[in-house]
Amino acid sequence: MQASLPVLLTLGAETPASFPIIYALGGVIAAVIIAMCVFFIVKSVRRAKAIGMEKKQIQETIKSSAIFSIVPSIPIVIGIGIMMQFLGIAIPWIRLTVIGALQYEIIAMNQAQAAMNGATGPEMIATAVVIMTLSILSGPLFNAIFYKKYQGKLADLQKKNGRLMNTVTGALLGGLLAGMLSAILVGGAFTVGKTPVPDASGAVTYGEVTLITLSASVVIMALCGVILKFGKQKWIESYALPLTILGSLVVAYFCVPLFS
Amino acid sequence: MRNIFKDTGKEAGQTREQYNASMHVIGRVFTWLSVGLIMLVSIFYCISAKQLPNWQALASSIPFLLGYVAIGLIEALSYAPLLGTSGQYMSFITGNVSNLKLPCAINAQNITKVEKGSEQQEIVTTIAIATSTIVTTVIILIGLIPLFFLQDKIVTVLNPISPYVIPAIFGGLTMVLIAQYWKIAAIPFVVCIVICVVGNFIPALAGKLTQSTMVIVGMVVSGISTTILYKTKKI
Repeated sequence: MQASLPVLLTLGAETPASFPIIYALGGVIAAVIIAMCVFFIVKSVRRAKAIGMEKKQIQETIKSSAIFSIVPSIPIVIGIGIMMQFLGIAIPWIRLTVIGALQYEIIAMNQAQAAMNGATGPEMIATAVVIMTLSILSGPLFNAIFYKKYQGKLADLQKKNGRLMNTVTGALLGGLLAGMLSAILVGGAFTVGKTPVPDASGAVTYGEVTLITLSASVVIMALCGVILKFGKQKWIESYALPLTILGSLVVAYFCVPLFS
Repeated sequence: MRNIFKDTGKEAGQTREQYNASMHVIGRVFTWLSVGLIMLVSIFYCISAKQLPNWQALASSIPFLLGYVAIGLIEALSYAPLLGTSGQYMSFITGNVSNLKLPCAINAQNITKVEKGSEQQEIVTTIAIATSTIVTTVIILIGLIPLFFLQDKIVTVLNPISPYVIPAIFGGLTMVLIAQYWKIAAIPFVVCIVICVVGNFIPALAGKLTQSTMVIVGMVVSGISTTILYKTKKI
């Protein structure tokens, strides 16, 4: 991918993917997404008031979530930067604003390119957009058609046996942590000292940096815990995870050149 | 914010079930709307460029598409108890669930110390995911401007740290959750480590046991091991 970058960079602003109608559609989509979120926030805040939740809890939720989301959003912007080399700026912007997840979109785009033997141009873009759309629809369609019934069964379980439902939720969360950590740890350990292969986005993952970043994240969070508990600094609770993510990424940033 | 707090609207007179049903209606409307809009992108592009997709390439991508369909369904089923009603609709409309929306919701639940399975937890989760989505949408919009002019420089500077965002999130998140979930997570963690190690020695599995795959494997193993622990009253 890196070798073809100079040629493909010229596609960024001038590719035929950047039709005004696509930008207009992107604007409509971004407006719909923000409207949806505002709608859900208003409904939830009103409901919170109705059931007697403290205003402070809501404010804390909004503040902590806004701060938390800043750093993890940056790779999404970088994802647009990578995809725009092939698809122009409007389509990646739309895809990563609605429905598309960064890790899936880049792979789906590469699948289209691979299926066309590395071709670029309007036909590849048309094929990529269709593949990216079809590949990501099953989750939203499940929600639109079956989720209400499925959620009803979950609610019944919560009502009949709250302990069991909490155990199920705990099991899913425990599984998420176990799966993610094992992949990070073993993936990191098995690539230590090896020449890494660029991934679909062209980024290179060094095992050493993965393990250092994970360790830095654990250490920074532990330090935040110490400051919270022994330093009695309550304010740090809202900022602990964003600080941890930012701090460990700074460590990663300075470690990458050491191994590259 | 002040006005929203003053006015409880019709939510005040609703039972939890009625409120939940209204969230399903809104969630479904926005889901269909988003699906329609995202399909329009393909249609508008093909019309504007006067270019149809390459049907042969599409046909050869069917196995790939089926794999993604399966992943989407498994994720929708397994994330539902963690995201709540509104959170599930919003997360699957906007994507980036495991790397952004779910950790953000868990963080907010921990900070506000809401009870598991309670309506308060559902509300906190919804607000966290909605706020996160607004922030991401705005950052993407703002990011488009420098990207348009300095795309190659931005990608060159920041892309090298992109693979480390997930370890940066999950190291800290694990520290927060370990005290609550160590009994449940210990067995799946050991099993997942074994699967990953063994998988690295099997050529057919090399590169297939990604973070996304292992999250699903972890949830399945955790489901089985937790059921055993629950039935034997170890948790």
